[in-house]
Amino acid sequence: MASSFLSFTGPLRAGRRFTSLGGLATVVVLLAAMPLLYVIYNSLQLSTNEWLRLWSSRLPELLWNTLSLAVLVAIGCVLLGVSSAWWIARRDFPGRKLATWLMILPLTVPTYVFAHIYTTLLEEDGWLGRLWLGLFGETTPLPDLYNIWGVTLILSLAGFSYVFLLARAALSQPTRSLEEAARIQGASTLEVFWRVNLPLLRPAIAAGLAVVVLHVLSDFGAVSMLRFQTFTLSIYLQMSGRFDYQAAAGLSLILVMLSLTFLVLERFFRSRQRYYSARHSRQQPLRRATRLETSLIWLWLGLITLLAFGLPLAWMLSWSWQAWAENLINAEFWGYAGNSLMVAVIAATLAVIAAFPVAFYNARKRSVGSQTLLQFSSVGFVLPGPVIALGILSFLLAQLPFLYGGLAALLIALVIRFLPLAVQSQDAALAQLTPSVEQASRSLGAGPLETLWHVILPMIRGGMATAWVLVFIDTLKELPATLILRPTGFDTLPVRIWIEASEEMLELAAPAALMLVIGTLPVLWIMMKNHAVKMDSD
Amino acid sequence: MKHIPATLLLSLLALVLSIPPLTSFADDSLIIYSGRSDKFVKPVIAEFTRQTGINVTLHTGKSTALLNKLRIEGARTDADLFLSNDAGNLQRGSDWGLFRAMTPSLVAPINKRYRAADNTWVGLSARARVLVVNTQGPWADKLDSVFDLANPALDSKLGITNSTNGSYIAGVTVYMLAAGKDKTRQWLQGMKANVHGKVFNKHRQIVKAVASGKLQAGLVNHYYIYRHLDKYPDAPIKIVFPDQGKDGMGVAWNVAGIAISKHTAKAALAEKLVAFLTSTAGQKQFAEVNREYPVRADVAASPMIPAAGSYRVADVPMSALGKQRDATLDLIEEVGMP
Repeated sequence: MASSFLSFTGPLRAGRRFTSLGGLATVVVLLAAMPLLYVIYNSLQLSTNEWLRLWSSRLPELLWNTLSLAVLVAIGCVLLGVSSAWWIARRDFPGRKLATWLMILPLTVPTYVFAHIYTTLLEEDGWLGRLWLGLFGETTPLPDLYNIWGVTLILSLAGFSYVFLLARAALSQPTRSLEEAARIQGASTLEVFWRVNLPLLRPAIAAGLAVVVLHVLSDFGAVSMLRFQTFTLSIYLQMSGRFDYQAAAGLSLILVMLSLTFLVLERFFRSRQRYYSARHSRQQPLRRATRLETSLIWLWLGLITLLAFGLPLAWMLSWSWQAWAENLINAEFWGYAGNSLMVAVIAATLAVIAAFPVAFYNARKRSVGSQTLLQFSSVGFVLPGPVIALGILSFLLAQLPFLYGGLAALLIALVIRFLPLAVQSQDAALAQLTPSVEQASRSLGAGPLETLWHVILPMIRGGMATAWVLVFIDTLKELPATLILRPTGFDTLPVRIWIEASEEMLELAAPAALMLVIGTLPVLWIMMKNHAVKMDSD
Repeated sequence: MKHIPATLLLSLLALVLSIPPLTSFADDSLIIYSGRSDKFVKPVIAEFTRQTGINVTLHTGKSTALLNKLRIEGARTDADLFLSNDAGNLQRGSDWGLFRAMTPSLVAPINKRYRAADNTWVGLSARARVLVVNTQGPWADKLDSVFDLANPALDSKLGITNSTNGSYIAGVTVYMLAAGKDKTRQWLQGMKANVHGKVFNKHRQIVKAVASGKLQAGLVNHYYIYRHLDKYPDAPIKIVFPDQGKDGMGVAWNVAGIAISKHTAKAALAEKLVAFLTSTAGQKQFAEVNREYPVRADVAASPMIPAAGSYRVADVPMSALGKQRDATLDLIEEVGMP
């Protein structure tokens, strides 16, 4: 009966062959930490008095705003992500496959587009605004998005899919035997959820939340559009309003320390539990949903879909139609789309390759040193995009000026920014590999590289695909670093959305946003097909 | 065998490095780092290209980000020119020594007030900070100074942008220099009390709210009012050019302008573009696309807007918008404007 099992592993024996791998991992992480050096260098220029001024005038508010936003968005994402994942993983109902897609499609909409669409829709003559006034009368003020609740709404809608993906994968894993065992012992449904499912889900939720919280800490699009003062927005304002790099760097440094603390905590809670599941577990048929359940499920999923994807898509389609009618979608537009695609494909590929030594080294070594490397590879994700961009700009011009002028600067920035996404998913996939597989291969006489190529890489193909897709999606949407580092005259779709939206040329911003959604569909399909998401949780 | 991953990585790195600059720019073409809306720049540039055969690439972004980039790039920059719609940014670039002085005869037709003292930048079009007032409300004829906006009676009836808006900051600088710091501080405090934290991201939204009667008055750039009236000719709003009384300080202006990069290899070509933009025809077109004021006194503004000489403009040189920017930001922060 108990065909799946849980086991606990300690760190593996570390051999000499890890040294070159460790060296490679160190090189990658050092490169990724380059912008951090720029930040540290600049913040060292701050005098004690300036630090004190920053501390007393800004920090308490920024800390409070940033942390409370992170907590609220985390709660929002768990509510949306775990509830939808639970139904989809545990009940068979008509349209279940479609539902899975609907829950991940919001990933294709950038936060600045979300914020822009919702503020437009909630104006008095917007679709939602008119509906509101029609329902509640002229005297009821329209809901205001320019506060923490508005930002929470936008970021939760834009980010819950990460939690959904990981929770669904964890819930689909065959743990039914454990649930049955608990039931035989007389546990109620709630107790089973609380004592069996939730502990098993915890690593997945934690991993999903880590991605969400890092997105919140680094978000620029929604907070700048809704003017909610977080670290990232404040750093940006210091640089653009006063050209004060030093204050910006000081704030960035605090943001990085905050994020690293969070990551270490998250790792700590995750590493206390490590489960390996046997692959030959019995697949159990899903319970069919009753009709009442089916309607409830679709009511809930439908509501999420409407808010997180339906409305934005309808808005994009309606304005794109106008652009199409006015012949605004021309060769230039396709050029922007091509640029976006090229940059995203190259950056995602490079990031996946660069991430592998870091993830693999940690998977095999699991030492303090390898963990530290892993954490430091996250620096790119938490530094605000404009700070990374200026750091790389300064570094390249001072040290490697021959690299400047083409795509290199932009690609380096994108790889540094999104490396952690690739590292995390590869690490998760590698953690699921039972070490015995590798040991078996080695004992049969295969060399380390042969083992890597013929045994390990094929087995973590899903995790690699997930890593590639996650980086691809975020690269495709990236704005702040691209704005600064793109080669002269080289515009991508997000850049055009930004330019047209700031000119209020909605009929030009909408097709670009729509194109981002369409461009992401094939890679999402690849990810789903690979069952990559299943491999992604540990 | 052992070093394959390293080799692989290195060869990939080499591949990336070898990706050449995507666009190779011909000798007879120009690159502008442009912080101004494409739709206002493109038609004028197209006309320039048609007349001279010189191709122009617009690298559009935020003025401040492009200025940062220009500064860090130094001699490596691709930019031949820098275009911004805020005199503050232009003057900041001059102070950093990023621009080269233009031939004096080239910029002579432009009033000294609207260019740098050392001719490192020159204004091209001007916009006025004005009041938009609802004509059906109780305030229709009662507002004639920006300082009236601090009147507590306007509680919850006033629309202003958020305090990171470039036009807003430039306006505050002008008032601070023309009317004094204390008066400006009190004014900001009064407006802060009136808006209760509800400020706007876009001037367009302020005009709309005033037209709908939800608000009675707002502080905006003049062209947003005309843009609204284009769409809704019967909207109950009017424009008020403030502070025209005997002791009034006059209307705050800000200019969009252009500078030539210090490190350009095509200074002569770049000056050709500046010559076109400051010519009578160029001025007319550059200002007209957004119904702004040409900075050349001998070129008339769009007939739809009040002529430039018909009202008083505050006597503050545009270069002050750069030099006093930090002081303005300090003041705004001290008051805690949203």
